[in-house]
Amino acid sequence: MIHIRGLRKVFPGVGHRPATPALEGFDLTVQDEEFVCLLGPSGCGKTTALRILGGLLRWEAGEVLIDGRTVTGPGTDRAMVFQNFALLPWADVLTNVAFGLELRRTPSEGRRQTAKRWLEAVGLDGFESHYPRELSGGMQQRVGLARALAVDPKILLMDEPFGSVDAQTRRVLQEDLVRLQQRDRRTVVFVTHSMEESVRMADRVVLMSPRPGHVVETVDVPFPRPRSAEVRKDTAFVELKEYLWSRLEAMQPPSEREARIR
Amino acid sequence: MAPSVPARPFGGSLKWGLRLLSLTVFLVVWEGLGRSLDSLLLPTASETIATLVRLTGTGELWQALWLSNQALVMGYLAALVMAIPLGLAIGRWRKFEKPIDLYLNLFLVTPVSALIPLFIMALGLGTVARAAVVFVFSAPIVAVNTRAGLRGIDPRLIEMARSFLATEMQLWRKVLLPGALPAVISGVRLGLARAISGMVAVELLLISVGLGRLILRYQADFEAASVYAVVLVVLAEAVLLIGLLRLLEKRLSPQGGTEGLQ
Repeated sequence: MIHIRGLRKVFPGVGHRPATPALEGFDLTVQDEEFVCLLGPSGCGKTTALRILGGLLRWEAGEVLIDGRTVTGPGTDRAMVFQNFALLPWADVLTNVAFGLELRRTPSEGRRQTAKRWLEAVGLDGFESHYPRELSGGMQQRVGLARALAVDPKILLMDEPFGSVDAQTRRVLQEDLVRLQQRDRRTVVFVTHSMEESVRMADRVVLMSPRPGHVVETVDVPFPRPRSAEVRKDTAFVELKEYLWSRLEAMQPPSEREARIR
Repeated sequence: MAPSVPARPFGGSLKWGLRLLSLTVFLVVWEGLGRSLDSLLLPTASETIATLVRLTGTGELWQALWLSNQALVMGYLAALVMAIPLGLAIGRWRKFEKPIDLYLNLFLVTPVSALIPLFIMALGLGTVARAAVVFVFSAPIVAVNTRAGLRGIDPRLIEMARSFLATEMQLWRKVLLPGALPAVISGVRLGLARAISGMVAVELLLISVGLGRLILRYQADFEAASVYAVVLVVLAEAVLLIGLLRLLEKRLSPQGGTEGLQ
């Protein structure tokens, strides 16, 4: 279980720029096996919260606990999927997928087999010896996902993973992710700024305010699983999406709203 | 499944054909210019080549080469051994960079030839002094390129590795060194070019031995063809050594290394 209470994170100022408060009074609880989306306007600190959970950032105040223990750094119970894939460009797909295992000193044969199994699970068998630049964005993120899953994490931390792939690919990736999460019962914290994406995948959508970010509202997504792709046409789905949209829009700073009217 | 390598029909032979053509044009123009000017100071291409052939038959040229290259090998190897680790350290840890950066820039922008007298005053007229000059010519560019190689690594890759629990050692072996390699190698190549300049410069300017001494002596005797022949030898050595390094570069980075800082 993830338990965050009263989290504050301030990025120190550089030169003349003042310090930036990124998170203030941020609370979040995620149950085991829950799929939670962090949704908020850009720059609201959702990625910061995720990186703190991943143990990549320190924070100023508040408690961040996973299964009752304070996060002190990255751990074997968590794996991250990055917005820009973060694949090693000089390593082939198989080596990339096996990277986490390699760092954990898994013997090479076991590493290979596990990596191959996960490549298959994300639909990339046959691409073992390709290099990242030879793959489309969607395929690269499949590699990123397989790399995270290969270390068998309890918690998957995903930072706008499908933000830079085209709309169709994005949908397919969403379906595949939900399928794998349901199969293996992992906890997922998924950062996004897409209403549709969050409603499609999450058990719960956590709506964040603009900087300094905190939780304004938590919305349960009522659709039972497995959800077919048809769920998008459901009136309740559309309404929920519209509701999130109106809440997000109300949060836009006035300057941006004016800019859009002009 | 091997990644498909785009076939380049005639690519290789076309390249060599063009090289041969440009060389031929150069030699023809040289020959024509030499004949029409009929100057004591500009030998024709054919004269130069004939002299070159004659010189290779004498022990004098080989001895000069041997003498010059002692300083080159010593100075250049010392530059590599010191500048690569230095570049890596200042690329990774800012606190090392601050005190060193100034000197590095100083050596990069000052005409190093102007410093040669200082070396001779400090180290005498022996091989060590010449090697020191070669070192000072080549080390800064090697260090700066190495640093640029490290700095050029996507910080998100480093963060990714950290999220998968990489130790500092693993980070170096799996991310930093492979990522910096192409730029390091181009630094090694540029460093060699500068080392050769250093080798010849010191011999021409102050310590009259080796190839430099041959050039000066033939010049004094108005043996233009011999001067040109020795210069050709220096050029040939440079082309040969840099070609060897390129070969090495290709072997080390099958991904086709980047050009680095030119």
